[in-house]
Amino acid sequence: MTSRQLLIRDILVLLAFAGWALALPHYASEFVTAMALTCLMYIALSSSWGLFCGSTRYLSLATSAFFGVGAYTTAILLGTFGWVETIALGAGIALLLAVVMGAAVLHLRGTYFAVLTFGMTELILHAVTYFEKSVTGTVGRVLTVVPDNSVIYLTVLALAVLAVAVSIWVRRTRFGLALMGIGADEQRAQTLGVNSRLVKIAGFALTAAFAGAVGAAMAVRWTYIDPHTVFNPFIGFQTVLITLIGGVLTLWGPLLAAIIFSVLAESLRLQFPQIYLMSLGLMLILCVLYLPGGLASLRWTTFKQWWYETRDWAKDVKRELSGEKEHDKQRQRRREKESYFV
Amino acid sequence: MSVTAWLELIVSGLITGGIYALVALGLNLQYGLMRILNIAHGEFLMVGAYLTWLVQTQFGVSPLLMVPVAFIVLMALGVVVHFLCFRRLTATSPNLDIFEARGLMVAFGLMFLVQNFVSWVWGGDLRGYDYLTEPVKMGEVQFAANKLLLFLLALLFAGALIVLMRLTLLGKGVRALMQSPIGAQLMGIDTKKLHPLMFGIGLGLSGIAGALLSMAYTITPYMGQPYTVTALIVITLGGFGSMGGALFGGLLLGVIEALGMHYTNPSLKALLSYAVFITVLLLRPEGLFTRKSRKA
Repeated sequence: MTSRQLLIRDILVLLAFAGWALALPHYASEFVTAMALTCLMYIALSSSWGLFCGSTRYLSLATSAFFGVGAYTTAILLGTFGWVETIALGAGIALLLAVVMGAAVLHLRGTYFAVLTFGMTELILHAVTYFEKSVTGTVGRVLTVVPDNSVIYLTVLALAVLAVAVSIWVRRTRFGLALMGIGADEQRAQTLGVNSRLVKIAGFALTAAFAGAVGAAMAVRWTYIDPHTVFNPFIGFQTVLITLIGGVLTLWGPLLAAIIFSVLAESLRLQFPQIYLMSLGLMLILCVLYLPGGLASLRWTTFKQWWYETRDWAKDVKRELSGEKEHDKQRQRRREKESYFV
Repeated sequence: MSVTAWLELIVSGLITGGIYALVALGLNLQYGLMRILNIAHGEFLMVGAYLTWLVQTQFGVSPLLMVPVAFIVLMALGVVVHFLCFRRLTATSPNLDIFEARGLMVAFGLMFLVQNFVSWVWGGDLRGYDYLTEPVKMGEVQFAANKLLLFLLALLFAGALIVLMRLTLLGKGVRALMQSPIGAQLMGIDTKKLHPLMFGIGLGLSGIAGALLSMAYTITPYMGQPYTVTALIVITLGGFGSMGGALFGGLLLGVIEALGMHYTNPSLKALLSYAVFITVLLLRPEGLFTRKSRKA
């Protein structure tokens, strides 16, 4: 396929998904709609996360920080501003935070970056908790003016579609190529004229803006907000999980994984919350070990490869057990000895 | 503030610091040697604590006896985990950067798995037992006996590890591997044996820390995570891969926390340690006590 055909295919798939999601609340039950909402939220979060962190391989765990900041923006400003303005503000504030944070930490690589973003998230969480406790004198906030459920659904849907559309678009621009270049080899990218600092900050800010907007939109679902629910590091973890299991470098992997996860989450979480989380952990480990490219990289040949590997392993075990290996070794040793004498 | 109050404050800081150091040493061993940032470290500490609690309440075995048992059980668990996960990861990762990122992800998976397994089996309630709760008077200051014991044992095991690393051939091999993996392998050091063993010893140390903690504090399935984070802070303070640094960093962080909490307010404890962490990581990513600079 040429790149133009790929673009058309991607846009068509996106439109089909969007149309389906748009029609869903009209015929499905409330439970399914709620599930779809969670699913859309994770699609938006993980697609935008993959956009920056997937291509540059900067593992950010700060998603929940931006999400929480967006949620708090809604909690504080929703009365004074309209719905759309509030969400835009949530995205804007998260973006500003990301620019400051990115300027401070994006020169660190690998594990340092991951740990530091996690630390920053916790710092913000504890700072907000402390602020609320000592200055405003409350622990949480109650949202009184809440828009209609269908409005929330449409907003999150729009954000999800926007996130996927932006990742389709960014892949085709210089900016996207620069991000990929940084992921492959940062120094080489710099040598080839990429201003890696600026590109990284811009990418990080873009991811954060989406997370902030999603947080701002989802905040009204809870009606009662406290720091520990909206800054929950689990939101960040799950975003990372979904993207990794789906496939960081692929466009549709995160979407696929988000759907699987939300179905799994909604069906298991209420009855067996621990089993849900255990299966999450197990899936992550298996995925990293056996399918590093993610679910979207699953092809017919992958199964074949697994089959060959298992077969070879079984053969090896069989040889070991039947004593043939030991026999071979002895033969080898004897031959070496003989050749020494000759 | 009087001298006694000061003394009490600093010693209580040192007591928590001793545990921090022990947890951090295990984590540091794994990260320094194998580049596995084991986020699930605190979870294994919790497993050690539950093991001790279970045996103590069911069979009435002294927790002190459980310390070596916890070490051995957790070490065996560590070798198994290494065999199942990280061996394959080492074989399939194209370079160290990717190995590190994937290792982190596997550790996250382990964290979810272990934490929720324990919470599924024993429930999320607070558990605990009484052991040596009577206070000990030393001059004018007094401490709970179990906490003092905890501190002494933590220091003992931390010291033992450092001695092991400094004086034995095994420790020399480990240090050589930390310095230059390829060079050490060329000198005939067998990574295939040393890596699982050291991963196991790291987990074993967290098992000891868990067994010790269960003597003085109540335990829950979610107790591990704060210790992992603290251990990360400690090894950042002491420098990744430095054993003495981890011991000293742990004690230092304990004292900083105790003093900070006294002067400000207890709810600021977490804020304080994260602030220390981020400041150190931004300003001196190679650790406070390392002289040679290593690029992060």
